Amino acid sequence: MITLAVGGFALAGLCGVYRLLAGPSLADRIVALDLLLLSLMGSLVVDAVERDDTTYLIVPVVLAIIGFTATVAACRFIEHEQRVIAEVGP
Amino acid sequence: MTVLAEALLILGAFIAALAGIGIVRFSSSYARFHAAGKASPVAFLVAGLGAGIELGWVGAGYVFIAAAAMVLTLPVGVHLLFRAVHRTTDNAGLVADELIRAEALSGVRPSAESDV
Repeated sequence: MITLAVGGFALAGLCGVYRLLAGPSLADRIVALDLLLLSLMGSLVVDAVERDDTTYLIVPVVLAIIGFTATVAACRFIEHEQRVIAEVGP
Repeated sequence: MTVLAEALLILGAFIAALAGIGIVRFSSSYARFHAAGKASPVAFLVAGLGAGIELGWVGAGYVFIAAAAMVLTLPVGVHLLFRAVHRTTDNAGLVADELIRAEALSGVRPSAESDV
């Protein structure tokens, strides 16, 4: 059971790593990082169930909020960078 | 460990794996965001439901807070990514483009002088 559940999240993480390395645009890499974050959160939940221990369950709570902040900041950066290039030149 | 909790955890991992396969296999940025942004909250919700059944009230509380934060924030973040890509790339190949019309109607220029 634990092998199957962690294996699914690990497969998602591997796919995210591939897109992180190969993604053509910056936004693709950001969404790959979001997927990596999901894989980490899911693995932590499965680990908590396996050991029957809720000590580390605060980590997915923090990761959900931090991930959103990082995504919003990166979107602002992409749009701002494009605007600067349009005004000043590359 | 109950059978229902096991099944929900494995189903959540399976949905996460589907999101990963989608993010590798799809050909355009929009399709990749679609796969990752739709499937990720569902995967965590299903896995978290299984974990909450198994862990009792304390664990269920933590997982509920994490799932609520993720379901509320991740679609917003992916929507912002969609818009950033839409504003910074050439949209000539799209079949339908309603955002550019809405932005023209509301007076927001796609990438020139608008701020978020």
